[in-house]
Amino acid sequence: MNEATEVAAAASSRDPAVGLAAVAALRRLLESLEALQVANARAQGWSWQQIADALAVSRQAVHKKYRRTVA
Amino acid sequence: MFERFTENARTVVVLAQQDARERGDSAIDTGHLLRALYAVPDNLALMVLEGFSVRRADVEADLAGSAVATPRSSAADADALAALGIDLDEVRRRVEEAFGPGALDRAQEPKRRFLGGHIPFAGEAKKSLELSLREAISLGHNYIGTEHVLLALVRGDGAAHDVLVGRGVRLDVARVMVEELVRGRRAG
Repeated sequence: MNEATEVAAAASSRDPAVGLAAVAALRRLLESLEALQVANARAQGWSWQQIADALAVSRQAVHKKYRRTVA
Repeated sequence: MFERFTENARTVVVLAQQDARERGDSAIDTGHLLRALYAVPDNLALMVLEGFSVRRADVEADLAGSAVATPRSSAADADALAALGIDLDEVRRRVEEAFGPGALDRAQEPKRRFLGGHIPFAGEAKKSLELSLREAISLGHNYIGTEHVLLALVRGDGAAHDVLVGRGVRLDVARVMVEELVRGRRAG
């Protein structure tokens, strides 16, 4: 099996260990990107409400999550 | 234990902290200490490194390379994401293009409450400073100089150890060099 078909096999794998690990990795990537983008938005003067609207979550949720890590 | 440090060795610790702060790192690691050795002109550690032909530019490049190669334990994540058709390295590359080196990995670290405040030593760096005392004692020296810090970095674990050993520095040979240098020159 070459590398490409191995990856394809993994993507369609019914093995929970493979599938769940991919979801967990995706979530970590998502969290990192979100933190980066929220920090950037704050640095550019966006309000918590504007950020919340863009993320489609409540203002309270985004503020609670990032007030300690983002100014 | 810092009271036994020579002026140069103290400067190394101070510069390592400065380096960590400027890079936005949350702890002082052995890589910062190694870089700091190169930042103090004309010290005994540099003479030993010179003896092994380990140059500053090479060390900088190796340290930068190791930092990029192992951002957290994301190698497993990269594999898992590859299974979904997502290239984590490419994502990181694009993010860093827009936000600067390390942006993706730094994103979730808590903000530092005191800018310019105290930055702690990482476990391996702390251990290295302890080892520098032991190296000094075993050589019969009653002070800790840059040469002992270097020996400790070679002896301990961490990025500095990997780079130095990778560049051919040997602990036993380095010790002999230190002994000879100290005999011929005051501590540095």
